[in-house]
Amino acid sequence: MMHKNIAIAVAATLLLGPLAACSSSGSSGDGNGSGGGSGRGGSVTIGESTSLSGSIANLGQTGLQGLQLAAADMNASGGLLGKKIKVVSADDNAQPATGASEARSMITKNHAVALFGPVSSAVAAAQEQVAAQYKVPIFFHTSNDVGLMTKTFTPYAFQDVPNTMMEPRAVADYLAKKVGNKQITIATFAPDYSFGHDTVDGFLQALKTLHVNYKLVKQEFPPLGASNISSYLSALVSAHPQYVFNAQYGGDLVAFTKQAAQFGFFKDTTVIAMYAYAPLAALGSSAPAGAIGFDRAPFWEIKTPEMTKFVSEFKAKYGKYPTEWAILAYSAAQEWAYAVKKAGSFDSAKVIKELPGASVPTIIGSMTVRACDHQSEVPEYVGTISGTADPKFGIHLYNDGFTAPFKDISLTCSEVKALQK
Amino acid sequence: MSESSIITNLIGILTTASTLFMVAAGLTLVFGALRLINIAHGSFYMYGAYLATTLAARLGGAGFWVSLVICPLVVAAMGVLVEVLVLRRLYRREHLTQLLATFALLLIFADIALRLWGKSVRSIKAPSALNGHFQFGGAAVPVYDLFVIGVAALVAIGLWALMSRSKLGWRVRAVVDDPEVLAASGTNVPLILTGVFALGAMLAGLSGVVIAPEQAVQPGMDAEIIVAAFIVAVIGGLGSIVGAAIGSLIIGVVETLGAVWTPSWASTFIYALMILVLAIRPWGLFGETER
Repeated sequence: MMHKNIAIAVAATLLLGPLAACSSSGSSGDGNGSGGGSGRGGSVTIGESTSLSGSIANLGQTGLQGLQLAAADMNASGGLLGKKIKVVSADDNAQPATGASEARSMITKNHAVALFGPVSSAVAAAQEQVAAQYKVPIFFHTSNDVGLMTKTFTPYAFQDVPNTMMEPRAVADYLAKKVGNKQITIATFAPDYSFGHDTVDGFLQALKTLHVNYKLVKQEFPPLGASNISSYLSALVSAHPQYVFNAQYGGDLVAFTKQAAQFGFFKDTTVIAMYAYAPLAALGSSAPAGAIGFDRAPFWEIKTPEMTKFVSEFKAKYGKYPTEWAILAYSAAQEWAYAVKKAGSFDSAKVIKELPGASVPTIIGSMTVRACDHQSEVPEYVGTISGTADPKFGIHLYNDGFTAPFKDISLTCSEVKALQK
Repeated sequence: MSESSIITNLIGILTTASTLFMVAAGLTLVFGALRLINIAHGSFYMYGAYLATTLAARLGGAGFWVSLVICPLVVAAMGVLVEVLVLRRLYRREHLTQLLATFALLLIFADIALRLWGKSVRSIKAPSALNGHFQFGGAAVPVYDLFVIGVAALVAIGLWALMSRSKLGWRVRAVVDDPEVLAASGTNVPLILTGVFALGAMLAGLSGVVIAPEQAVQPGMDAEIIVAAFIVAVIGGLGSIVGAAIGSLIIGVVETLGAVWTPSWASTFIYALMILVLAIRPWGLFGETER
């Protein structure tokens, strides 16, 4: 056999990888949930197919933990309409086809009465259509593509996180206040797929809207989950930007921060990135003081008694503080439970009618579901990373935390309506 | 390009190349002697990094240096077990069977790693002696990058000396050419094969430790690195250490200059390059056609 044939065989094996890996997951839990919600006693099933392996596994896993804790809490207080809630889960391997078929099987085999969303927006788009086809509500608490509630909107889909327009807009607001009329140089750094490109575009668009006087000096798009970014980083460093907008997250952001620190990059450049709980915890004392962080739900910035209770409960159960993915999954479950109670039924047609325009009490505060696009009116949080570790949580948190209110950062309903056509 | 940019990008090229070379060298070494493409090589790399995070958490500041010695040896021991228990039975099978077997091992090791270390991102700090940077020609040069380049250079020199200047290297080459004659002359062929496989695993484990302070240690790093290392090995020629070194440098240059001049195409160039090499010289730049 020639080496060429070996090469082709290896390429084939590596491409088959995701498929082979997914056969080991499948959904867990048994399938005796009842769908209709008639009568008392028994149980109902809710499902989440999300990424539980690979470089985004931590997002999927902590999100699932939030959902499981929500179900456990509801069950501890007598269940929902007298029924126990069961959570079934599966690993979608970040593959849309896998995520869609798992969602379908959760509905048809496990009789899931509600679905909760995945990490990847591509998987979310596929599951959104499956949910609409079977008329089951789906709540997105991690994937945040604005297209989910505009281009591909269905009445069964609900969005519980700041979307790809809102998040960069909040950061741009914060930056505009900081720099005023000064001219600044900016570079962008983002994972090379739709989320990275959309977020960067959204950020630059927002800077234009806010009339920030900036010059774009470099744009880099390293692959998602790349183990080695030296090449991209050296291109960024030699461009000497004053500000870097970085749309990486999780492990990629940790790797970026550690390598950039070796160049002394944080001394002259202000990096703006999703420095949420998980990357800040992984970085520990290497957290970049003075960099600007943004986070969809930092538990330390949300000062409600419900959040305090949730944080200590989560810590006791999983041994760690909750990520924003866990917090938003929990509040998404509260949103669904609220609608079920109001409707007095698990019936999807009744449940989805209760939410548009409703204000739902959740651990992140009262959350209004906007009628025109089912986007929850949630804020985005921005802050400058502190030079000292927080005495209670042991990690570097935000110094001057800023909460960007929903109305300042979202598209208006008429803008949404135009996109929904 | 200004002087400082040239220096910064040169460091980028060499660091990228060094990281790739350390992993690709082990992959290609094992292929050279065993005629086996070991997909689980990525697992050895990941275990090296994970073990280092565990040791560093226990030992604090000195943890990195201890890891640098201990972890590659632990991973080498894993390699011995894998070779003796699994791969030894597969040498006479076709390449596809071997590939599937080592791919299965990658999945099994990934599952075990999830159980041992969980799904969250782990990280260790660079030891204080290697932390920070110095100014040179107007550019900031990270000390740790120089350390990575230095380790890769030592690995390259060591492998060259071992393969071309020692009796063992001569025997390894003879294993490939004529195992029967070698066995008849009293050499323990299975032992040599196990040894080479363990050495390959050790190199992967060493690279895992070396990259840990600069990268995120997390699930998925095993599959990610094996694709990159495989591309390097294919371009350089499977089985050739010199090829792995040149292949790594080529990728380093293409990726770094790509990131400077046409950022959105940087990662595409590498695949285009691999396809080009496969089309013109399927056995790679420094490889030999298999008999």
